[in-house]
Amino acid sequence: MTLVNTSVHNPWRDPVRLWSFFGLFSYFLIPWQGLEYGVFDATPDEFFVAYGWSSINSSTIALAAFIACLIRPWHSWQKAPIIDGTISAFAGVAIFFVATVTKEPLGYGAALQIFALGGILSMALARRGFIQGDPFMTGSVLFIIVAIAIFVFFPVSTVFSKVLFAKDGSFTPDLFFDNLFSFGIGRTVWNSLRMALTVGVATTILGLTFSLFVTRVTKRFHGAIRIFSILPIITPPFVIGLSLILIFGRNGSVNDVLLMLFGDGGIFIGAGQDGWFERSPYIYGFWGIFLAQTLSFTPISFMLLVGMVSSINPALEEASLTMRSSDWQTFRYVTIPLLRPGIANAFLLAVIASLADFGNPLVLGGDYDVLATEIYFSIVGAQLDYPRAATLGIILLFFSLVSFTIQRQWIGKKSYVTVTGKGVGGTFQALPRGIVWGCTIIVVIWVIFTTMLYGSILLGGFVVNWGADYTLTLSHYEELWTRGFGYGAWPSFLTTLGFAAVGAPLTAMVGLLIAYVTTRKQFFGRNVVDFGAMICFAIPGTVIGISYVIAFNTAPILMTGSAVIIVISFVFRNMPVGIRTGISALAQIDPSLEEASLTQRASSIRTIFSIVLPLMRPALISAMVFSFVKSMTTVSAIIFLVTADTQVATTYILGRVEDGDYGQSISYGSVLIVSMLAVIILIDKLVGKSRTERTKV
Amino acid sequence: MSHNSSSAKITFRNVVKKFGDLSVIKNIELDIEAGSLTTILGPSGCGKTTILRLIAGLELPTSGQIFIGDEDVSALSASQRDVSMVFQSYALFPHMNVGENVGYGMKIQGMAAEERTVKVEEALASVGLSGLSARYIDQLSGGQQQRVAVARALILEPKVMLFDEPLSNLDSKLRRNMREDIRRLQQETGITSIYVTHDQSEALSVSDQVIVMDEGVIAQIGSPHTLYQKPNSTFVATFMGDANIIDGNVIDEGGNAVIDLGDEKIFLSRPTGEVGLGPIIAAIRPESMTLKDTDFTGSTDGMLKGRVISQAYVGVANEYSIDWHGQELFCVVSAYLPAFKPGTEIYISIDPLGISPIHE
Repeated sequence: MTLVNTSVHNPWRDPVRLWSFFGLFSYFLIPWQGLEYGVFDATPDEFFVAYGWSSINSSTIALAAFIACLIRPWHSWQKAPIIDGTISAFAGVAIFFVATVTKEPLGYGAALQIFALGGILSMALARRGFIQGDPFMTGSVLFIIVAIAIFVFFPVSTVFSKVLFAKDGSFTPDLFFDNLFSFGIGRTVWNSLRMALTVGVATTILGLTFSLFVTRVTKRFHGAIRIFSILPIITPPFVIGLSLILIFGRNGSVNDVLLMLFGDGGIFIGAGQDGWFERSPYIYGFWGIFLAQTLSFTPISFMLLVGMVSSINPALEEASLTMRSSDWQTFRYVTIPLLRPGIANAFLLAVIASLADFGNPLVLGGDYDVLATEIYFSIVGAQLDYPRAATLGIILLFFSLVSFTIQRQWIGKKSYVTVTGKGVGGTFQALPRGIVWGCTIIVVIWVIFTTMLYGSILLGGFVVNWGADYTLTLSHYEELWTRGFGYGAWPSFLTTLGFAAVGAPLTAMVGLLIAYVTTRKQFFGRNVVDFGAMICFAIPGTVIGISYVIAFNTAPILMTGSAVIIVISFVFRNMPVGIRTGISALAQIDPSLEEASLTQRASSIRTIFSIVLPLMRPALISAMVFSFVKSMTTVSAIIFLVTADTQVATTYILGRVEDGDYGQSISYGSVLIVSMLAVIILIDKLVGKSRTERTKV
Repeated sequence: MSHNSSSAKITFRNVVKKFGDLSVIKNIELDIEAGSLTTILGPSGCGKTTILRLIAGLELPTSGQIFIGDEDVSALSASQRDVSMVFQSYALFPHMNVGENVGYGMKIQGMAAEERTVKVEEALASVGLSGLSARYIDQLSGGQQQRVAVARALILEPKVMLFDEPLSNLDSKLRRNMREDIRRLQQETGITSIYVTHDQSEALSVSDQVIVMDEGVIAQIGSPHTLYQKPNSTFVATFMGDANIIDGNVIDEGGNAVIDLGDEKIFLSRPTGEVGLGPIIAAIRPESMTLKDTDFTGSTDGMLKGRVISQAYVGVANEYSIDWHGQELFCVVSAYLPAFKPGTEIYISIDPLGISPIHE
């Protein structure tokens, strides 16, 4: 058996030359610059001008680099990789620099050629021993680092520059402070924090209650728990808010009932007399947002806590009981302290979620303004106050990052119980009666309340006008769905489906790739990848939205208004879940399986496709499903990025809400919920129990 | 499986491997003969597995060169090297059946399916697993899985085979069978093999050559006999089985070396020139000692006098702890000789072959 190394036998098939050839090929064939109206709607003149070779511009740097690396006079030198690497890295940086100065919008050609430069650089780095000399892994790492730099670090930094530099480019640090102390910001910040802390406390208590209920009171509701954990994922973020309006709003059911009993002309009050009660918009404001967020985030707290509650070792409580402590004392001094890290964790994540929440405050906020919505209102309509939006964005990012850092650094490492996903053997002693009853009562109230909410969501679409006219009708659905594909809900629905379908596999791939390289490979720059992934997780959607709008509105990366930027925002918004799914799946796979494949002469790319991916199939699918569903229901980042052509389901619904058309919005919302649920159940059934899941080495 | 004429020697030149600031392999020079079976032995963390992974290409050296045959493979990745490895966990692909596992490498090379089936069946037969190719991995016993792993490594007829503690997950009886099978297959195929283990009896029984490692350096290389009988350090002496370490002084008695222990002495039965005069450490194997009653009538010259501290019957032998001038000696005596109760005064007679003089 002989070693096949084509680069030794045929110098013209050296990967560096192949990449250079690929680069040259795309240089001559594909327009370097972005076309304002897209590739297909450009005039021949525009097309010609967009080609790199039509003039001297930033692409000339790429041309020079490719010609040099194709001819490669240094081919047989020992230092050849260093020369290749220097040329490609320098060319890449220079292109961005020149394009920024000359304001050239980079297009598909530029993307491909920069990709080719990346290929040459990866080859060079791998030959210098980067990641065990593995070009594919090196290329992946390079790709991830560049992607995170462009789509995470760069936009965030432009938000900062927006508040530090005036329009003419002069450095004006006082602008930030002007904005910071301007009227209203203090109140907004206080509103956001007050809301986040209150919601954090409420969801944590409720999450703990439900965890205790399902693990320690009764174990009969496993199916219900599954739905309970899925609901917040498939429910568009403001639909809960909408249903609260249906029930508690000015024309809501509760008002109707009260009015019927105590209002003017009510059952207990004669006609013509002043009622004890009038319709009022009390749901708008603090309590409305509070209710909606608590309902939305409690399942998340529950998911975080239930693993921890079920992995407490029963022997600890038994030990306490044998030492003459009562069940209350045991609960107070053993059980709760053991859960403390989990409780703190759930609290902080709820705080982050509440700070970032955009949909509910938008629908229910009224006069109660919070950071996430104020960012939007600063630039929507005629305002266009980017410095103010950026200032608010920075404040929001700051709070979110602080919470996240505390969660990661402090609590992440302070766990008394190992969460393995499996319960510990042994049976638990009964909880104190008071706790059991308390839990049960809260759960019952919750179930009734949630049923009412989702009931109103499902039914709301079938009545003429909730609160005024309860005649059953299909008109909302007809309006939305039967006027042909160009009308009603169809355009936005199909657009969303398309974006989500393109984004989901990308998200899963990038997420799993990051999980793979950060857990399996040691390399220089790993911390950058780790940090970037963390930022992605902590950064609120509205901040992503505003930063993308600011960063990608000018050359060299001009993408605002395009579909590409929306898909990219999906990828980076949902990627953290892909990463976490990937990390936990990889922990189950023995690394020597990959090594065995490598020593069987399979290349690393081959190993990924024939060993890693098949074994990670369940993780891959769940990451894809999650990201698909999330993309369908997200609103916070995307509302900044959509245009009339790229309207998505959630922004369409919000538009209906703004028009006061609750019937259509709620029926569209319920179609989304039902179709997402169908997708999840279908995929669950299709995937089923595969062989891969059965055998874990 | 035919004899592999292309098996290659392995050479390390000044190889250093660092993980961060930690040097795991410190400047190693090593020559391994083509077609031999070499065992690397050492405590955990000594760098033995790293050596294996460096040969496989799963790690690249921080500095220095590694040659397989005459080719410098220092910068080649694992998939570019002609090396196969049997993993401690076997690393059998759970989503493939036995045949697919064994044929994986051939499939990667693009071999046609029919040809592959024949090859796979041949390889499975060579490890005694004919007809199991359709089984899934979780339907095999631990020993069978081990054999599949060996078959998968063998089928590519590599220049070098690596074994990373291949038997550590098997029970002791199976382990003995397996190690004999591995040795037989290695000798039949003549593939240069490196075998990492922390079990010294496994190392002694299978190898042509044993390398003992300690903290990233090679403590000693030699045949199993050399290492057991002529350790060059107390580390090697105590690592290769048990040894009693005694300080003494070599003196000359009529051309023969004798270790002077103050009041007593022990005979080395070899020329003084071979050992050299002066201070020395004697490593004495516990099984080279026999115990004599104090009313023993012969000459007690060359014997040590002590008292039994404790005695334990372990079936094949009696194990004694003996107090000798305040030092505790460990001694293993056939169970078919009379046993001594704790507190009994005894003489210890030592077979000269069980004494290794060490200059440190």
